[in-house]
Amino acid sequence: MADSSPGGYFGRALVIDVSDGSTRVLPLPERVLREHLGGVGLGTWLLTELGPPGVDPLAPEAPIAFVFSPLVGTPLTTSAKFAVVAKSPLTGLLTDALASSHFALSGKLTGHDALVLVGRAAGPTTVAVRGGQVELSDARAEWGASSAQAEASVRARLGGGWQVASIGPAGERGVRYATLSHDGRHAGRGGLGAVLGSKNVKAVAVHATTKVAPADAPGVLAAARDLRTRSLGRATSKVRELGTMANVLAYNALSTLPTRNFSEAVFEGAAALAAEELASAHAVTRASCASCSIGCSHLYRDKGGRSVRMEYQNVSSLGSMCGVSDPEAVLAASSRCDDLGIDTISAGGTIAWAMECAERGLIDAAWLRFGSGAALLRALDEIGTGTGLGPLLSLGSRAAAEVVGGDSLTFAAQVKGLELPGYEPRTMHAMALGMAVNARGADHNRSGAYDADLSGELDRLRGGDAHVRGAVESEDRAAVMDSMILCSFLRGVFDEPFAEWAVLLSLVTGWDVDADELRTTAQRIVLAKRAYNLREGWTPEDDWLPERFLETDLTLASGRTTSLTPQRLRSMILGYYAARGLDGSGRPPSVQT
Amino acid sequence: MLESAGVVLVGGRSSRMGRSKADLDWHGSTMLRRVTGLLQRGVDGPLIVVRAPGQSLPGLPPGVEVVDDPAEGRGPLQGLAVGLAVLQGRARSAFVCATDLPLLHPAFVRRVTRDAGLADVVLPVVGGHRQPLAASYATSLAGAAARLVSEDRLKVGFLFDEATVVRLDEPQLLADPALSAVDPGLASVSGANTVEEYDALHAQPEPEVTVELSGALVAGGLDRGRHTVRASTLGSAAASVSVHLDRHVLAAVNGDQASRDPEFPLVRGDLVTLMSAGAGG
Ligand code: SF4
Repeated sequence: MADSSPGGYFGRALVIDVSDGSTRVLPLPERVLREHLGGVGLGTWLLTELGPPGVDPLAPEAPIAFVFSPLVGTPLTTSAKFAVVAKSPLTGLLTDALASSHFALSGKLTGHDALVLVGRAAGPTTVAVRGGQVELSDARAEWGASSAQAEASVRARLGGGWQVASIGPAGERGVRYATLSHDGRHAGRGGLGAVLGSKNVKAVAVHATTKVAPADAPGVLAAARDLRTRSLGRATSKVRELGTMANVLAYNALSTLPTRNFSEAVFEGAAALAAEELASAHAVTRASCASCSIGCSHLYRDKGGRSVRMEYQNVSSLGSMCGVSDPEAVLAASSRCDDLGIDTISAGGTIAWAMECAERGLIDAAWLRFGSGAALLRALDEIGTGTGLGPLLSLGSRAAAEVVGGDSLTFAAQVKGLELPGYEPRTMHAMALGMAVNARGADHNRSGAYDADLSGELDRLRGGDAHVRGAVESEDRAAVMDSMILCSFLRGVFDEPFAEWAVLLSLVTGWDVDADELRTTAQRIVLAKRAYNLREGWTPEDDWLPERFLETDLTLASGRTTSLTPQRLRSMILGYYAARGLDGSGRPPSVQT
Repeated sequence: MLESAGVVLVGGRSSRMGRSKADLDWHGSTMLRRVTGLLQRGVDGPLIVVRAPGQSLPGLPPGVEVVDDPAEGRGPLQGLAVGLAVLQGRARSAFVCATDLPLLHPAFVRRVTRDAGLADVVLPVVGGHRQPLAASYATSLAGAAARLVSEDRLKVGFLFDEATVVRLDEPQLLADPALSAVDPGLASVSGANTVEEYDALHAQPEPEVTVELSGALVAGGLDRGRHTVRASTLGSAAASVSVHLDRHVLAAVNGDQASRDPEFPLVRGDLVTLMSAGAGG
């Protein structure tokens, strides 16, 4: 650790030009670290500093940052995570995604708070970072392989002690929602895999060479013990016992399970895809990220004996969204997405949109129908191979709709180009707002406003001031958790989150952080993302939902209909802008247009 | 603009009951809490409670707006005028009811409001009696209602002379399968005006509802599958399957409301799904 750096930090980032392997050290002043923490906060700062304004996300000059955090390497449960931040080829705006485990630990212990890649290698390349040393090596042997295969191959080649993050074939082909993965966990949203692929980088390998100490090691240890105990309580029992798949039946019961491209919110085939059913027909094993006491991952054995990591988002996007209730098809589709290295949410959302296009005669593909598992798998194969509809679907639903034309953009379920996750906005008005205004696009990680909708404390069908408060609070909490970094599945164990996080951060860094400061930091991070987007061409129209959600009523299981009117959404958006200190067009008052 | 809102009139004198009906117990809840919750379940738009000036009220569900009658003792037409005025520009019509209808079924509300586009007033007629305090009114009638009050013409019936009215008799109401399945006797309009009427309604068996457990609640050792229980509130339905409604539990009622409020009112035919709270993923 640099002498002057606060605990948990090195005070520097390593910028690597993959064109030639040259590097430079970027000092990270304490002020920057304290104001942006790490993870997505620091990543946003780095992208703003290092990314040329208006850069093409797939151009050599476009940076992609692997960002660690002060908590990485401490015994605090769920802290072994890293953020990947870049300009998204899917949205043209900022995207950030988290992945977990040993890559975070070893990456940070290269002695850097972030590794930033720029440039473009001449051919398929692995970037290996050991301390300040960077070596580029030929990755032709791994080109075309799945990220898991590539990870294993690079580790075997480099030897012990290396941790590897890799892209799959989709990233190589520039699929705009390609992922980047490590140890089966994906930095999933926004096409980070395509950004790495555009640099001809198949994999990034890291090797620890140093140590980092928290400011108050005994204090951190005691806090870690306490947090571990609390992490095993009822607040996490759902994800521990069934994983996020527990949401399938729950969300169906709440009329919020996206079905057939969001034309309905209750799926008749939900029971067949539910964790409770799948677990009885498939052997299930649990897994966890490094340094995690919760262990939310549930792996289901498919017919071929392969273990497939299943999440709620896989089931909603590849199952109900496509009208597919055959669990074998959904397991196979999830596995296919993993192999290709594509985001299941965007893949499922884009295919569901294409199914609707085909049924309406806007796309000539008689085979592509809601409910067909075979069609789902064929569409994924075509995305992976770039054949048939693959090139169109690789663009994501927004850009594909611009190609297909007609009214297809009105039912492309995306915001800012990012496909909606498994939450029906018409039955979750706080979440509707969260998805409309979030910097990353339709997003459930940086905005967990569904917590407000499902708090039982407001009417989720009548968005208003309370929903605005819920959406702001949720964004603020996520901004801190994703920057310091703790897993969002831990959030329910904190009674006074900002105050408790401030204590943890103080123990690690030696700063005297309090809850108020962290709230200010959260607001700063949220606004920094907005400022980056503004610079890159965001317009007020980008903070909106597709027509499908605003012009079509939804029938609930009770027989009641519900709607989200444009007026209600507009009113919530204006409330959000006011709460964030923005003007009525969503800009900071100082920004002139 | 939303189609239907709700108005509960609570400012009446309750002279035949001898005490405020709003506070009366209803199986662990109160009459007012129950009726506002039931009405909230039946309409799409906002819910207004109109009370006597400064009248103290028992707890209400989240999102309910309370407004005051301008003067005490002017009868339901004044409350109706106030409630409709608050809703003008926000909803086309409002189902208006008194606080003494503990058996009001959301399916009844939906059946009545379904015809709100056909006339200014949709007036159920049950047992040969008009039900002006279980009826739907266009919010555009607010001005006419206020004028009638100012002219001391305080009967709700006077409003019918100035409006288009569609009457719904029993066969018409029960032709709706969703309503006839859950309220074949149209008990929705059974009022508790006197102590005797209240006692009789209160003595009836509580509604039969289905409770199912999902997610980690099942994995936690409770019996999965559906349980048929009798319960007037969410709290008592949950208790009947040994679930305590704390912050770790959430209930979905017919895929519609999400609540963990123990006083959330249940009615015959409800499906309550209890699940672990803590969404996401
Ligand atoms: S809760 Fe799940 S996602 Fe979070 S750190 Fe643990 S295993 Fe990883």
